[in-house]
Amino acid sequence: MISKIKTKPDLSVDFAGIKLKNPVLTASGTFGYGEEYADFVDLNTLGGVIVKGISLRPITGNPPPRIWETPSGMLNAIGLENPGVDVFLTEKLPYLRKFDTAVIVNIFGYSFEDYVAVAERLDGVPGVSGLEVNISCPNVKAGGIVFGTDLKAAFELLSAIRKATKLPVIAKLSPNVTDITEFAKAARDAGCDGLSLINTLLGMSIDVRCRKPRLANWTGGLSGPAIRPVAVRMVWQTAKAVPLPIIGMGGIVTAEDALEFILAGASAVAVGTANFINPRATVDVLEGLETFMTEQGVGAIGDLVGKVSAG
Amino acid sequence: MPLTKLHKATILVHTPVGKEYYRIVLRAPEAAAAALPGQFVMLRVSETMDPLLARPFGVSSIISKSSLELYYRIAGRGTALLSSLEPGQRLSMHGPFGKGFPVPPKGSAPVLVAGGSGFPPLLFFSHRFGARAHLFLGARNKECLPPPAVIKKFKDDLEKVHIATEDGSRGTRGVVTDLLAAYLSGLDGKVPAAIYACGPRPMLAAVSGLAAERSVPCYVSMEERMACGLGACMGCSVGVKTGGYKRVCKEGPVFEAGEIEWGCRESNESKGSEEFLTLKTP
Repeated sequence: MISKIKTKPDLSVDFAGIKLKNPVLTASGTFGYGEEYADFVDLNTLGGVIVKGISLRPITGNPPPRIWETPSGMLNAIGLENPGVDVFLTEKLPYLRKFDTAVIVNIFGYSFEDYVAVAERLDGVPGVSGLEVNISCPNVKAGGIVFGTDLKAAFELLSAIRKATKLPVIAKLSPNVTDITEFAKAARDAGCDGLSLINTLLGMSIDVRCRKPRLANWTGGLSGPAIRPVAVRMVWQTAKAVPLPIIGMGGIVTAEDALEFILAGASAVAVGTANFINPRATVDVLEGLETFMTEQGVGAIGDLVGKVSAG
Repeated sequence: MPLTKLHKATILVHTPVGKEYYRIVLRAPEAAAAALPGQFVMLRVSETMDPLLARPFGVSSIISKSSLELYYRIAGRGTALLSSLEPGQRLSMHGPFGKGFPVPPKGSAPVLVAGGSGFPPLLFFSHRFGARAHLFLGARNKECLPPPAVIKKFKDDLEKVHIATEDGSRGTRGVVTDLLAAYLSGLDGKVPAAIYACGPRPMLAAVSGLAAERSVPCYVSMEERMACGLGACMGCSVGVKTGGYKRVCKEGPVFEAGEIEWGCRESNESKGSEEFLTLKTP
């Protein structure tokens, strides 16, 4: 019988130097720039917000149809639509700064130089806690995935970004590789402070009656509960291989899902597609973590990180 | 924080009305108090993960200040599942969301156009602002028209209802936009205050063209596959003339017709495909 503790469990996390009041973050691209969820979530309650990916210049994104529902998941090919770093700084960041929550800016580029330039622009900006570098978007031909699936390109890009900023740099890795730990090692060698995994899995669906792809982009990124076991496995493999803190994500809907990632080795978690089906999913996960810790007599969330064992 | 857009909606009434059409009344007082004609709600038809996403439904009426009325047609797994639910069951619902129809000038005689199952938002609009309005209803055949009880409601609320079916099984034979064109031409230069339209994209494009030729303000309710309904997923974007895209869930679903880039999206879904994630045929 586990004795119940009376004090509130300690959910705080120091993630690569970023102080998080709890391990619950929002996955990039599923929570806009925070304001979209103002009717549903008090941002002060969250550990942090990882904003939708920002590039040097505005990007209009892919033509519709951009999404398709799949069993326990969805495909998307949004094409990284975003207003660009200037609009982010003048119109999106000021809103987020009103809240006591960490702001992690997801960045990407169409070229090596674009990535570095946007990292430079965000260096030293008050209110930005860290950068998450998207080297893994499957939906943009010239960008992301080129760096995310080529070890040398990934290392060189992340090294350059590391030099361009004093902010903590978190590399968001692609699952669309044979061995994700190789890319985690490249990120470590490049001087990255943390890892986010996983991004979406490349997928496709076809309308058989008109013999056309469901997405105008033909292929898209698969997200949602369907990918969770893959994500948990990759977090577990990576945590064993590389001593960098990990933000685990991929189909987290409940606190139990989040705990799988934490036990597999994630120091923090990000709720993604679940925000679409339950706009309060982040808060539900957070409350569930607290309840679980209280019930199990876990004093600090850090005590659970990587604690999966064969028993 | 007050959560005025997050609901557990109780099914009060759920009945089949006509071929594959259902009427559902959901008790959700805060949503009912807030909803405006043209807005929609996101409804989860199951608490399981498959189907995963909530479905958008245009609100068709507010019943006794505490409940919303929706109409839907079975067109895929989500709506088939919804049709099996019983009064008393509770569903997760978010909303109302989106920008509705602009309020027509007092005493004006607007023209409404509804294609296929695109009638629910216009039913709400008619009840509020329709006393002098003419409605043009179009469908492939009489089975695809709104259910008889809905047509009766329209007739009670509006000055006149015009009907066209492509096979001539009810009303005038032909497409509804031809009927509309003839009506507008017969007005002898007098133009309606505005046209409000909801239906398939090709119909909306044609209505937009007719309105532009006559310099009549025209508002269209657009549809696109949608995941979140609240502006985050960027899935429901439609191309606009100024370049780039706007979100159906946030900047729409009602747009000024002249804003839309009508040429940039062909309908590429087969008739038998899952309806889902679109606004008017959930």
